[in-house]
Amino acid sequence: MQTFLQYTILGLALGGAYFIAASGLVVTYTTSGIFNFAQGAIAMLAVFTYWQFRWGWGWPAPLALLMVLGILAPLLGAVLYQVVMKNLRGTSEVTKIIVSIGVMLGLQALATWVWNPTSSTPRQFQKFFGPKAFAHVGSLTIPWHIIISFGIAIAIAFGIRFLFVRTRSGVAMRAVVDDPELLQLNGGRPERLAMISWAGGSFLAALAGILIQPMIGSAMSAGALTLLVIDAFAAAMFGRLRSLPRTFMGALIIGLTTTYVVAYFPSKWTWSSAFHNSLPMIFLFIVLLVLPQDRLRGATVLRLRERFRMPSIRTAWIAGLTMMIVVFCLKVIMAKTGVNTLTLALTFAIIALSLVLLTGFAGEINLAALSFGAIAVMVVYHFGISGTGDGARTTLWGILLAAVVTALVGALIALPALRLRGLYLALATMAFGVFVSRMVLTERNERELFGWKFTIFTAGQLTIPRPKIGPIDFNSQDAFLFLCAGLFVVIGIGMVYLRHSGYGRRLTAMKDSPAASATLGMSVVRLKLSIFMMSAAIAGIGGVMMAAQVGTVNADRFDIFLSLALMMITVVGGIGYVSGALFAGIFLIAFIEALNLLLKKFAVDYSTLEAIFMFFISAVTVLPATIGITMGKNPSGAVSDIVDGMNLVKQSKPLMITVIGLEAVIWALTATEVITNWNFVVLTLANLILVPMVGGKLLMARAMRGVPKPVPPELIGIDRPFTDEDLAAMDHALNLESVVIPSSTTVREEPANASA
Amino acid sequence: MPLLETIGVKVRFGGNIALDDVSISVEAGSVTGLIGPNGAGKTTLFNTITGLQPLSGGQIIFNDKDVTKEPPHKRTRMGLARTFQRLELFTTLSVRDNVRVAGEIRNRWSLRTPKMDINAETDRIISLVGLGDVADREVGEIPTGKARVVELARALMIQPTLVLLDEPASGQTEEETEQFGQLLRDLAGEGLGICLVEHDMALVMQVCQTIHVLDFGRMIASGSAESIRNNPTVIDAYLGAPESVG
Repeated sequence: MQTFLQYTILGLALGGAYFIAASGLVVTYTTSGIFNFAQGAIAMLAVFTYWQFRWGWGWPAPLALLMVLGILAPLLGAVLYQVVMKNLRGTSEVTKIIVSIGVMLGLQALATWVWNPTSSTPRQFQKFFGPKAFAHVGSLTIPWHIIISFGIAIAIAFGIRFLFVRTRSGVAMRAVVDDPELLQLNGGRPERLAMISWAGGSFLAALAGILIQPMIGSAMSAGALTLLVIDAFAAAMFGRLRSLPRTFMGALIIGLTTTYVVAYFPSKWTWSSAFHNSLPMIFLFIVLLVLPQDRLRGATVLRLRERFRMPSIRTAWIAGLTMMIVVFCLKVIMAKTGVNTLTLALTFAIIALSLVLLTGFAGEINLAALSFGAIAVMVVYHFGISGTGDGARTTLWGILLAAVVTALVGALIALPALRLRGLYLALATMAFGVFVSRMVLTERNERELFGWKFTIFTAGQLTIPRPKIGPIDFNSQDAFLFLCAGLFVVIGIGMVYLRHSGYGRRLTAMKDSPAASATLGMSVVRLKLSIFMMSAAIAGIGGVMMAAQVGTVNADRFDIFLSLALMMITVVGGIGYVSGALFAGIFLIAFIEALNLLLKKFAVDYSTLEAIFMFFISAVTVLPATIGITMGKNPSGAVSDIVDGMNLVKQSKPLMITVIGLEAVIWALTATEVITNWNFVVLTLANLILVPMVGGKLLMARAMRGVPKPVPPELIGIDRPFTDEDLAAMDHALNLESVVIPSSTTVREEPANASA
Repeated sequence: MPLLETIGVKVRFGGNIALDDVSISVEAGSVTGLIGPNGAGKTTLFNTITGLQPLSGGQIIFNDKDVTKEPPHKRTRMGLARTFQRLELFTTLSVRDNVRVAGEIRNRWSLRTPKMDINAETDRIISLVGLGDVADREVGEIPTGKARVVELARALMIQPTLVLLDEPASGQTEEETEQFGQLLRDLAGEGLGICLVEHDMALVMQVCQTIHVLDFGRMIASGSAESIRNNPTVIDAYLGAPESVG
């Protein structure tokens, strides 16, 4: 009984903190329509900032609290809304999710940059009022921080409810999501209200973080803290992102069950601690499974800003062949380390292909691509290797089996999404990813099931050899490079074929308008299931290739944050294009590494400027996230800009001469070993991407001078005045005889003309 | 026996009653009009018939079967198609592919669905509704009037027995509307049941055999075009003085 009460109190406090974080999610979602994936990162940043003030600089607690909760956190929320989220109206759900993930990764990179995790002693966070007890009831101790946490949660629950139901601004806030334009017509100011709610949501996240950190008691870690608050997603989903009482209940259930697991699971169950950690994610998954079906909706915006043109099959073949030739040329001039990095980049590009297939073609979202890779790697490790030692090879059957198993796991994960829309699948996959990280990849003990002894993730690392397919051995680095490049090309061309097939068109229909698809008699279940399985299988194959390139992989290789970054960069590259996947792999692996090497070399060569180059090296870690955040401005992705640029190069002689000339110079410099191979790649990419982009802008600007922008017919007379041609066209359409009025005539001059 | 019947359909949004005890019927081989001021509940009624909007009460009978509980795609497979007032086109596909994919969806309804020749049927429908000149354009580039015709073409691709058209003529030129009216009469002549929501009264009076009038979620009148035109309640609520009807 004593244990039960003590753990119940602990659970209630934890649940209270979860509720505070979850209520922040509900508030921002109901007012801005954006599910804030960065909630955990905001909490994390607040914890670090508070630590800096309170213990780093020794400020008194009230001052530090006032600074973090009263000023910095709301400010961060408001700025995020004004600078980033406001631009997201009229973009697809994918872009909204990606941008908030970009913010999350950015804040995390920022925290690791400022508070270097390796440089100092572990940062400890103490409880409010320390270990002092608020009260003793019998033999039961109730510490202060528990009372604070639970008390604040209840106060906030009532506070928000009062705000939403009883105050004018609260009611207006709820109206923002339903119809911002209507609210504006009625005198409301949706932008300002949404900004205030983001400030509030950020405040709640910060508060939750500061309350949760002392409860877990371990040293502060940016990744762990971010994920900890993500546990609150489950509570928010339990409240269906609307109901605060249900959210409160969900939070308490999570808080209590997780503490009871600690209290009552026998210590000989070696998996109980991992289970305790993954419980919120299991809870989230179950909640998603039983959520009632939401109404079929049409396209929520009439015309999305995202635009994807599909290449013809012929173009796909040409691009595929070109890529193989380019890879061959690169191999010739590159050092061995360069070839290694290039191969790794290609394996990531294969994984990114699974995202293009799922998100670009079908509009569904997978935030845990690498976790599917992890599943496949485990299958190959246990069932797909023949030979031992240096002679060990991954078999074709092993790879195929891994693909089948990941497809089946994918089907299981997609279950909640069959009835629900994009955001929920995104959350289900994220729950899966965190679950795999916390529960599966920590499985190092030997288990026995029906007499069969096995260890899932042996010794925390798995060694995957290179494959041997039929008579062809891909053990050498060069052979494996071509295998990966070939695999990418084959899958990529296959995807273009798919997109041009009836199946591909049905996918597009489902993505563009679920409501129209249903009223044409489409049952989305099989379609969604099949595409998710296919995508999971590709992610699995890519994961196996990645592991085979690395050799020995540990759990970090499948980290959820890496999956998120890959997804984000693929969207940046262009989620609708096969080339967007290539962009993602090259950018995330090769480009970042090349940039790092270059900066480090500079730092050594010009040691007086070392500090500046070290600053840039840190800045590079924030770079991908920064690019992700700008997605709101260019939701179609970078590849479409590059393609546009290339088309301009084709059309403009001077531009083409410039590009080819520059490339020849770069080649010559590399051949004479003035510059090294990675600098060659960086410079080539810059030449192929930046020159057309900049040159194109200049050309466009010149061409556009004098040429008026085309105006849709219904906006003539509003965006620009009527011209004689317009009037003639209208007269023709109305079967009127043309009345010619001199174009210089204004209404005021007309009577004068008439009388003249 | 009417092709479609709604019996006492009721829809509530929170405290708002969007539809209150609405009973209409649509016959095969005829055009039935559904008119009323904005916000009268016409589109909501279409949504309940197609299953996109759950009912708070009442029944939907289609083809002699109670389909009230059936999901949208099952109703469609029984021969019910519709167009949307706020266009729901597949915006990343061309006009031809918008029409073609409807056939591809239809061919996949079930294993027993008799397969149609999609290429031939697509060409036939496109020339039937007169979209030949824009067939290979992106659907986002064509004018709204044409886009509404694409919606109709897509609905016809699934070979329905009943189509619900939600303001198909808005955005069309007078000439286009003229042709459109003729097309509707031809389709009805071939046995198709058509239910038409439209504000263009000239078109409605010209093509509809029966007209139902909604106002504030209630049915205020129902009958032949002639009787509706002269019904004082309808004139009061919607049409205005008879002269302005034209």
